[in-house]
Amino acid sequence: MKPILSLTGVHKRFGARCILDNVDVHLAPGQCQVLTGRNGAGKTTLLKIIAGLERPEAARVSIDGNERGWRRARSALRRDVVYLHQYAYMFDASVEYNVGYGLRAARLPPSQRRARVAEALERIDLLHLAGANARTLSGGERQRVALARAWALQPRVMLLDEPTANMDRESREQTWFLLRRLKSDELCVVVATHDGHAIATLPDIELHLDNGNLFPHAADTHSHRPTPSPVATGSAAGPRLEEQG
Amino acid sequence: MHELWQASQHAMVLLFTGNRDLWEIIGISFSVSLKAIVIATPAAFAAAFVLVYTRFRGRGVVMSIMNTSLSLPAVVVGLTLYLLLSRSGPFGDLRLLFTQTAMTIGQVILAFPLVFVMSHSAIQSGQRAAWETALTLGASPIRAVLTVLYEVRFGLIAAVIAGFGRIVAEVGSSMMVGGNIAHFTRNIPTAIALETSKGEFAQGIALGFVLLVLAFGLNIGLSLMQRKGGVAP
Repeated sequence: MKPILSLTGVHKRFGARCILDNVDVHLAPGQCQVLTGRNGAGKTTLLKIIAGLERPEAARVSIDGNERGWRRARSALRRDVVYLHQYAYMFDASVEYNVGYGLRAARLPPSQRRARVAEALERIDLLHLAGANARTLSGGERQRVALARAWALQPRVMLLDEPTANMDRESREQTWFLLRRLKSDELCVVVATHDGHAIATLPDIELHLDNGNLFPHAADTHSHRPTPSPVATGSAAGPRLEEQG
Repeated sequence: MHELWQASQHAMVLLFTGNRDLWEIIGISFSVSLKAIVIATPAAFAAAFVLVYTRFRGRGVVMSIMNTSLSLPAVVVGLTLYLLLSRSGPFGDLRLLFTQTAMTIGQVILAFPLVFVMSHSAIQSGQRAAWETALTLGASPIRAVLTVLYEVRFGLIAAVIAGFGRIVAEVGSSMMVGGNIAHFTRNIPTAIALETSKGEFAQGIALGFVLLVLAFGLNIGLSLMQRKGGVAP
């Protein structure tokens, strides 16, 4: 399958510490990729780079096969990719306003915006809370609203950063259920998680980030080496992930 | 005590019978201070935002200068401006000394550090996630900035109120660069200083009362806004 988005040779360091060392990521439509790795491995940084929120020291970005410089790529990434924080940030306004925020920024006409917001809220079964202040919601409800907010924009890539962290079992299951419900043939989903249930049931591709390198799966953190596999091949400076159909 | 009581009664008469001179002084005070706060606020917000959300060499130095400027004495600002604007000064040709414009400039210099430091603290207390969420949802950088500012609006309003409170009551700068000229540059603090030196307490008390009512009103307004918004700054 042809990737929507490819980031190759991604390099990022914070001070002397190398977080990402020549990482390649290829995202194809309809795919669900799960990203694992210990705390501080760089999962959030990688997701933020893919979302155009963090600037890498080096990276080649290709969108629909067209290579772009970082400046131009960044605005395209912000248009096509939505990143969901570990703790969903809710603007100090109603649930309806929160879900419609991106649509308002995209200057969608009010009637269409209202319809899209209602549809998104219906999908997450929170239409009855449309008028409530989003800050009064529980953690699970916030995450659901964040999912609806992202879905309403109909992005091509959705990045979820530990979406079920600190959630009880019921909320976790509800989040994964909704994610499956929101998935489509056009949407690529990347989830950074430690949740065994999600790792076992969600991914088409499972990736593991360790020591700045990306590996095709995560059995033992310390034994990983950049080895070729059906989903990943090594490059001179590090492994390179290839798309999987 | 009796003298104070009489002066206070006279002050209320002056205030509520619409004494022209008194209300003119109040008008000049508000006009100059409002102009100053309107000029200082956007600049302070923008500078605070840049300092919170960008990394550049010398950020610490800028912050230290601003923190030091918080205790900048109004009279020092007045003296510096006086030297710059006087006939022999580098900006003497602009003929701004003893004008309301000079008073406004002085008050901008006094308000800026306070509004900057307080808004910096408010913006920093807001989560970076607000900025990132706005951007990832497709907001333009300008829209994202406005969103972040809205999210910390109560802290920003408090900063503006504190800034306005500082300049509307300052006497040093206004006296030096305004000259306390009747009907032209005489504002509330300079008038209070003058009337007190003349032993005429009634007008001073009336003007002091106006400042107290203003401070009380601003605080009540801020509390109401916070309660209505339901979220603390």
